[in-house]
Amino acid sequence: MSDPAINAITCPACGGTVEMRAAGYSVTIVCQYCSSVLDVANPDVRIIERYQEAARALAIPLGTRGTLRDVEWEAIGYLGRSEGGYYPWEEYLLFNPYHGYRWLTTDGRGWSFGTMLTATPDYVSHGVLSVNGETYDAFFRGDAQVDYVLGEFYWRVAAGEQVQTADYVRPGTMLSFEGNESERNWTLNELLSPKEIRAFGVDPPRPWPGSGRPPLPHQPSPYGANLKSFLKLGLITFAALIFIIILFGRKGEPQAFTMALTPGREAISQSFGPIMLPRPRQAVTISAEAPGIDNLWVDIDYALVDRKTQASYEAYGLVEHYSGRDSDGAWSEGSRDKTTKLAVVPAGTYDLVVDASASRWSGSGSSSSYATDGWSGSEPSVSLDIRIAPGGFFLSNFWLALIVVIVPIGFLLWRHASFETARRNESDFAASDSDDDEDDE
Amino acid sequence: MLSVNCPNCGAEVVFRSPALPVKVCDYCRTAVTRIDDGVRAAGEMAVLPFDVSPIRIGTRGRFDGQGFDVIGRVRWGWSDGAWNEWLLLFADGRDAWLGEAMGQFMLLFEKPLEGSLARVVSRLAKGGDATIGDKAMIDGIDYQVADIKDAVCIACEGELPFTAPAGWKVKSVDFRSNTGACASFQHDGTEASLYTGRYVTLAELHPQDLRALDGWTIPSFAA
Repeated sequence: MSDPAINAITCPACGGTVEMRAAGYSVTIVCQYCSSVLDVANPDVRIIERYQEAARALAIPLGTRGTLRDVEWEAIGYLGRSEGGYYPWEEYLLFNPYHGYRWLTTDGRGWSFGTMLTATPDYVSHGVLSVNGETYDAFFRGDAQVDYVLGEFYWRVAAGEQVQTADYVRPGTMLSFEGNESERNWTLNELLSPKEIRAFGVDPPRPWPGSGRPPLPHQPSPYGANLKSFLKLGLITFAALIFIIILFGRKGEPQAFTMALTPGREAISQSFGPIMLPRPRQAVTISAEAPGIDNLWVDIDYALVDRKTQASYEAYGLVEHYSGRDSDGAWSEGSRDKTTKLAVVPAGTYDLVVDASASRWSGSGSSSSYATDGWSGSEPSVSLDIRIAPGGFFLSNFWLALIVVIVPIGFLLWRHASFETARRNESDFAASDSDDDEDDE
Repeated sequence: MLSVNCPNCGAEVVFRSPALPVKVCDYCRTAVTRIDDGVRAAGEMAVLPFDVSPIRIGTRGRFDGQGFDVIGRVRWGWSDGAWNEWLLLFADGRDAWLGEAMGQFMLLFEKPLEGSLARVVSRLAKGGDATIGDKAMIDGIDYQVADIKDAVCIACEGELPFTAPAGWKVKSVDFRSNTGACASFQHDGTEASLYTGRYVTLAELHPQDLRALDGWTIPSFAA
């Protein structure tokens, strides 16, 4: 068994049948045919103001139903409002007999879903209030008036009615105060997503910056969420990098070999092994050191050859050291050791084939004790120590990866900052630095 | 439970609460009042105007772990609207009011006006006035006067703690807090009473047997 939900009344001004959707709550109805304002608080309907004009066409025709946040609502009232004729906005009164009233508000930049609070907000500090443990910052203060009314309301509403208003915001939500000498009300307005407002058959407005209008006071920065996820992603990537570096960069037990080279002679080829590479893929670090060399360079060609497949991984190394004396005094340059890396080598048993030749440098001559007999066979041999170990840390890769992570974060930070500046410039309580930004433009 | 016949129409009239003296006859709207040796008719009550309240006599629910039945209702009007006050009878015999206005609900228990009273309350109890924003501490909770109305009884139904004749005038003052706690003060020119409680949602009352309304789905919390 179900009771009727609609009470039909006859407009005493035009005789039209007006459907009352919130009987028992509604006090004022504006006739949808002649726009006359009717008092429906009592069974005998009275005319408050008589009009004879067609009702305005609304974006959401009254009687439209839509589901928001899992509850079906019916639009039963409409208010056109403004700040003394400026900054107009629209409010739809929504009703569900089991859930009471809600508001749907728009000024053309987005839609908000308002719930009247039953508890007054807590004072936190100057310009800051809190509701349910969440803080709201003062944004705007003014006087709102009613310019146009249609449909039914639970209070005596009339065009020209004025209230004081104050808005406090946090991303996604606006806390609005409306008050006069007999009433004080607080409403929490949650910004609806474009998808949500389609429930009432409305096309969502274009968001900032395409709209050409500043963002809504409680609009969350569209970059804020991305920024958060990029920061999170960046942190995860960074952690993964460190992990990979530790895992793959961890060097295995090194193996050491020594070769004897005579400067000026043909290259010597020598094979060392076996070298076991256990992991499916790994970097290999080969370092060469020729202790004590001077005015000598040693060219080293490495080939890491898989015993089974004969696959060869090649690299090149050079150790060199020079010294002398000129008009500026003694000088020396070069390095007696050199580390070479192979990036990815598959698992296997390898031989390291080293082709190395040492050469004497005689360019600046005089101070070198061996300079005069440059290519003589009497040169003492040079010892070349070679160490090979699986693993190795590629610092350049690390920096590259870090840049890949940091660049988008930097870009998002910049976009976020320009959004927040555009948003705050609308506020009565704009911080001084954003005022400066405005002056600069 | 007391079952009698209506002195006016003879229909069965059931008093569920032994503490409540009045029951409006469901058939002829006669206020049936308990007296020492039975009942007597105390006049015909006005017809309740149509409304779409989701509550009705017989709706059940729970509050703070205690089950209740809706057994009575008074409808009040004022210059700019009207509201319902539903009488709840709890399983332990206590009663409370569920105020329903502007789609919001207040659940209130009567609090005796005795001991030390907040200044505003004691001024109101003496027939004085209050102003919006006046502060009052009741049971350790800070309240502010949120609403002052001169109300008139429109109609009533069911079991009631008093006869509520149409045209009965009361001053009604509502208090709010920053916690959702609320209070209500009423004075009819001779007697004053104070009620304290808090705002509730229909969902948190776990209601059963809500009123079904054409075209609307009874919410899942009441199914």
